[in-house]
Amino acid sequence: MQDLYLLIKPRFLGFRNRMARSDRRTKKRAFVMGGLGLFFCLGLFIVSCRVLIHFQSAEVIGDLLARQLLSMIFLTFFSLLIFSHIITALSNLYISKDLELCHSTPVVLEEVFISRAVYTLMDSSWMLIIFGLPIFMAYAYVYGAGPGFYFTLLHMSLSMAMIAGGIGILITMVLVYVFPAHRTRDIIMLLSVVMLVGLYFLFRFLRPERLVDPDAYFTIMQYMSALKMPQSPYIPTQWISDALWAVLTGKGGEDYLFYIMLTWTTAGAIAVISVWVARAIYFEGLSKSQEAKKRRAGGKRALDLLVELIKKPFGVDLGAIIAKDIRTFFRDNTQWSQLLLLGALVVVYVYNFSVLPLDKSPIRLDFLQNELAFLNMGLAGFVLAAVSARFVFPAVSAEGEAYWIVRSSPLRLKRYLWGKYLFFLAPMLILAEVLIIGTNYMLEVTRFMMFLSSITMFFMVFGILALGIGFGALYPNFKYENIAQVATGFGGVLYMIVSSIFIGAVIVLEAGPVYILFMANLRGNTISLFQWLFIIVSFSAVLVINITAIFKPIKMGLKALREYE
Amino acid sequence: MIKLINLTKVYRGLRAVDGINLEIEKGHIFGFLGPNGAGKTTTIKMMAGVLSPTEGQIIINDMDLVKDPSGVKQCVGFIPDRPFVYEKLAGIEFLRFIAGLYHLDHTPLLSHRISELLELFELGQWGEELIESYSHGMKQRLVMCAALLHEPEVLIVDEPMVGLDPKGARLVKNIFKDQAVKGTTVFMSTHSLDVAAEVCDEIAIIQGGHIIARGTASALRRQAGVGGNLEQIFLKLTEGKGLANARPLSSH
Repeated sequence: MQDLYLLIKPRFLGFRNRMARSDRRTKKRAFVMGGLGLFFCLGLFIVSCRVLIHFQSAEVIGDLLARQLLSMIFLTFFSLLIFSHIITALSNLYISKDLELCHSTPVVLEEVFISRAVYTLMDSSWMLIIFGLPIFMAYAYVYGAGPGFYFTLLHMSLSMAMIAGGIGILITMVLVYVFPAHRTRDIIMLLSVVMLVGLYFLFRFLRPERLVDPDAYFTIMQYMSALKMPQSPYIPTQWISDALWAVLTGKGGEDYLFYIMLTWTTAGAIAVISVWVARAIYFEGLSKSQEAKKRRAGGKRALDLLVELIKKPFGVDLGAIIAKDIRTFFRDNTQWSQLLLLGALVVVYVYNFSVLPLDKSPIRLDFLQNELAFLNMGLAGFVLAAVSARFVFPAVSAEGEAYWIVRSSPLRLKRYLWGKYLFFLAPMLILAEVLIIGTNYMLEVTRFMMFLSSITMFFMVFGILALGIGFGALYPNFKYENIAQVATGFGGVLYMIVSSIFIGAVIVLEAGPVYILFMANLRGNTISLFQWLFIIVSFSAVLVINITAIFKPIKMGLKALREYE
Repeated sequence: MIKLINLTKVYRGLRAVDGINLEIEKGHIFGFLGPNGAGKTTTIKMMAGVLSPTEGQIIINDMDLVKDPSGVKQCVGFIPDRPFVYEKLAGIEFLRFIAGLYHLDHTPLLSHRISELLELFELGQWGEELIESYSHGMKQRLVMCAALLHEPEVLIVDEPMVGLDPKGARLVKNIFKDQAVKGTTVFMSTHSLDVAAEVCDEIAIIQGGHIIARGTASALRRQAGVGGNLEQIFLKLTEGKGLANARPLSSH
């Protein structure tokens, strides 16, 4: 136990030292991130409260809906926790740089394993606090929960994290043990992304929104039974949500203790099984994962062809950068697999428009369609910004610790940045137009709205992209372990905020003129001189914002990169 | 060929490099020695254009690095102390990538040069393999191939022997000597006094950001006022007597 304590201690010491010795800039960043996190939590709490209060207003089914939602939330968290544990267990148990040191000491294997499992639990479970806490607090607030609820929530959440963690760690250990050495990391990353995409599709295509729409069911009895039906008595999240519901409402108290015992004994059993399995296969897996084997570049001919085709217009030096980026992207499973997530995002986005219940709205159909098309511009812009955060923002950081090669080469940084910009331009424009035209087509909007949306999106892409490249250069991270982490840092969050403001500003400035033009078209009115002036000023402001969004961030990024040390 | 004029770098108030002045002739191998944290890597990074100087000038081939970075970099080859490269590229692809950055066209001549360098550094069999499967020493040799690819007039090298086996180290020393004979100026920082004594025409010792001694090994011997090998001269000049006289810890 003494050794276990020693093995866990460096993490806390590191955290304490980082806090105590951080400079002003780091403190400022932590303050901004903390503020944003708090703002997010508050927003989530308010939305959750409104949903639960809305549910309560529906007699008979209100509580059923709230209970069903609680178990769905736990199930979602549980799945995400397993996914997250698979990834972080891989890093903590097999990749971490200090593993060599730990395993070279006389500490017993089980204690090294347990210390790494604790790290994994801590690294993976923070999202439960950020996303879960505001929702559970909303339940407590709306249902007037007593201290028993908070206590149950605390220890049951811990037991759930332990069960999900145990499952995730076991999956990782088995996969590392089974798959060929050196490729394990890539394979696990790929499998995890495929699993996440699968879960996302499953959840979306189940259409959970139908639960709040009794009309979707033939009879009220059918609807009630759909709500009452537990997901499965064998899933731990069901025990946790049932125990919490019992303490929240004071109903079903007789099962409360049973569910708690069931959850904790399961958590304990999984912890013990994990240590047994670790004793049997962990070290062998670790040893195997370090074996370096010759690895030839796969799919070479197809990749060479693609590279030749794309790099042609860019000149020799930029062409070299682009060829390197494409090759790295398609050979790194952690990178290209993100395309699966992107594909899932686009499919579900378009699918959402196909199931919109427009006919049930009290608003005139043509008016609603065009209003939604306008809203769609903002949403599609946000999707593009999210895609850009994942692919464009890390473009500079993607050089990693090999950035010295670019810096010591004769390639000018300005040319380098604009080259990256141009490389992403065509795919982003295509994605933007597919999103906006596809969804507008489903909405059956007017020609005018179709034209306006397409043009607006077209020009907005230039700004979103430049913000991505500029902020990526302004906040580069060349020492990442996994490129996907780059977008989740301070710079990535700031980029999302600034690009959302940019998208919002464009939409708001266009809203007034579009309304005037749309109503004039609908009612056959003539547009007054003052209104024309307003339209021209608004569209000019959109133009100015776009130009600023294109040139300013790249200029700032260029300056930051030049001064980067 | 290389001229450093009042070169200074200040990090958060600390003068890591403090007003260095150096002039190195064409075709010379110049050794840059100093204890840990003396300012060697900072100087080298500034010369490679990876770090910007706080003050002073770096003139290479009569061009100012600050005023014409691309022009200077075109005639410089840089080998850093740690070979960070793009792991997902094959060795040949990496060298083609470097060739692109230095505006070398994809001609049969380039392919020949790449094969020649890979063979020279004994990486011929590994050219088609992904770099992620290379050992540290192989990566280091690949970076050297990359630095020599465009036939630079100046080679800037930071700790070239780290991670190399004796055979690799011998190979690298011979290559540096050959390059110097062909007229390439080599500026090399090293911890290895043997290497410096063996290959360098001239040596400078840096400490606390200042050049404290400069000259050939025999000139330094005179300056230090000690006979013997370069290690003794180095310890004397950097006042490392304590380390030299240190005894091993007694076992309990």
